[in-house]
Amino acid sequence: MKLTNVLKMTAAAGAILGAQAAYADVTFGALYPFSGQLALLGEESARGLELAVDEINASGGVQGEQIVLERGDAVDNNQAIGEARRLISREGVKAIFGSYSSSRSIAASQVAELSGIPYFELGAVADEVTGRGLQYLFRVNPTAEDMADTIINMIVDKVAPAAGKAPGDLKIGIIYEDSSYGTSVSGHEQRLGAAAGLNIVTSLAYPASTVDMSSIVLDLKQREIDVVLQTSYQNDSVLFLQQSHEAGFAPLAIIGGGGGYSTQPTADAVGHDIIDGVLNADFTQYVVNKEFTPGIDDFLAAYQEKYGTEPRSGHSLTNYVGAMAVLQSLNEADGFDADTIIEAVSAIDIPEGTTAAGYGVKFGENNQNERARMMGLQWQDGKLVTVYPDDAAAAELRSRN
Amino acid sequence: MDVFLQVVVNGLLLGGLFAITSVGLTLIFGIVKVVNFAHGEFLMIGMYATFLISTKLGLHPYAAVAAVVPLLFVLGMLTQKLLIEPLMSARNHDIQIFATVGLSTALINLALLLFGADIATTPAYGLRTAIEIGPIRMLVGQIVMFGVATALVIGLHFFLQRTRSGRGIRAVAQNRAAAQLMGINVSRVYMITFGLGAACVGLAACLVAPLYPTSPGIGTYFVLTAFVVVVLGGLGSIGGAFLGAMIIGLIDSLSGFYIGSDMREVAVFGVFLLILILRPQGLFGGRLKLSHVS
Repeated sequence: MKLTNVLKMTAAAGAILGAQAAYADVTFGALYPFSGQLALLGEESARGLELAVDEINASGGVQGEQIVLERGDAVDNNQAIGEARRLISREGVKAIFGSYSSSRSIAASQVAELSGIPYFELGAVADEVTGRGLQYLFRVNPTAEDMADTIINMIVDKVAPAAGKAPGDLKIGIIYEDSSYGTSVSGHEQRLGAAAGLNIVTSLAYPASTVDMSSIVLDLKQREIDVVLQTSYQNDSVLFLQQSHEAGFAPLAIIGGGGGYSTQPTADAVGHDIIDGVLNADFTQYVVNKEFTPGIDDFLAAYQEKYGTEPRSGHSLTNYVGAMAVLQSLNEADGFDADTIIEAVSAIDIPEGTTAAGYGVKFGENNQNERARMMGLQWQDGKLVTVYPDDAAAAELRSRN
Repeated sequence: MDVFLQVVVNGLLLGGLFAITSVGLTLIFGIVKVVNFAHGEFLMIGMYATFLISTKLGLHPYAAVAAVVPLLFVLGMLTQKLLIEPLMSARNHDIQIFATVGLSTALINLALLLFGADIATTPAYGLRTAIEIGPIRMLVGQIVMFGVATALVIGLHFFLQRTRSGRGIRAVAQNRAAAQLMGINVSRVYMITFGLGAACVGLAACLVAPLYPTSPGIGTYFVLTAFVVVVLGGLGSIGGAFLGAMIIGLIDSLSGFYIGSDMREVAVFGVFLLILILRPQGLFGGRLKLSHVS
């Protein structure tokens, strides 16, 4: 008798507490590929969002309510759609954050748009994410075009002067994997490069699943290319850098675009001596001028404490900065209905040099953050060091030869 | 001229890579008559095994052959015994294809679970060193691979032609029912053949691992070309597969340099279609009778 009473009371108390907690919480969706081929960087991206939520919750939550993240596993495009539906209709999320992969983002954001739920893209780079005129989709991170922009400006401002040549005298060769990622970045490179007066000699596509790039290397060598721009995944980055080295092809500069060139396993696979001096444009990484990225040390400390390792790439930082900007703005709003959220984020105006990623936040045309930009990076002594732009640089760009 | 020679040599060395990764598939395809879509994943398993042996035990990747080849042999036998054989009597033989596709997906995801999506690098032990012969540059590892591929093809040819087990295997390939009537244990021959095919992949893995970074999806990079090589060679002809691999390697390299890297696959598959139209049985088809009563 006594025992059942205790049980009853506990259950009642639990129910009340639970109900109160549920009442005082606001749920957001975290839609990333948590399993499958993209799991590594999908998880890495989600960690940034989680750290932002932890930080906001620790300082009192948004509008006094604690944030609860409901995970959705976007293992492929179909599941991204299914999970977006589940988050919206079953979990009742007020907004979705995601999603690392551009194709997952494009698929899932359609669902959110139709349901009138805001979708915050914190990491996917493809043009089409914001190019579709969606009303409820906002992107905080820099895009494929920003990547090409950083690469071309870095050639004009840094690479050419370091080689003692006029930018127009450099022979530029563009190579890219032939899916939409490589095609869109290289397209921007050609357009922006031509506008900057660069001499783009050749542009070669290849399938990312290639097992041999020797003919491309020979072609570039024969044309006496000075600067190679490669947009690639990991395997083809490794293959190109190794085969160039083995064929004795040593251009003035090799500049990668994004993921394939940024990870430590790529550097380990290619060899630290071979990758030394190779350039890249990507999200903000950790060897950077910390006066330009205030808060990056706190981020690193929080990451280390929660996950027990160092970040594996800049994806977590980029997602963290994007999520912080959005969540802080929601704190100023009143309520969580879609139009209130949109009004709040549209008013965000964070100047450059005040976030942990360096760039500022202000949504412009198509709800794209027009202050987002990519950083120019260089492998120096086995580390990926920020060398461009000057205000973010942690070291001088080194000439390769 | 120097460049042309370099492109041709690159093509032949690439052919060596294609040959060694597709010899095992030829055996399985030609004799067990199973389209093994998990072929690439066998290669992936072999490459991870080589990676683990050379990094954890500090051994030369070539020394891993002693462990990886038997490992893949057993894996192949088990695949045949536990997965393919129960489906052999199924009314529709396509079911075996679905089974190998399932095996392939399962193995890729198992590797993702165990190793993550990142690349694993097997130490090269100087195999990535380029040596120069006149104007031509080649990698030590590529030359070894070409040599081993050639030796493997010759060795398998003699095994199939001259030994009692080889004759048994050919008999089963030619006519399963008749071979069984002659007292050949067909089930055992299939297991050995599948094991041999997988063991060839294991050998390939030890040679490929120091040259290419290993990842869970690495098998898919090689498997399509392997199928092309096998069909081109004439479904089950070992020599034909070798020749097919050389042709594909040369076309890949020549078209990549002279036409453009984006046209490589167009050239490779264009020539593939052309050869199939002119010689539907493949280059060496007909040597090894494929018709079988089952």
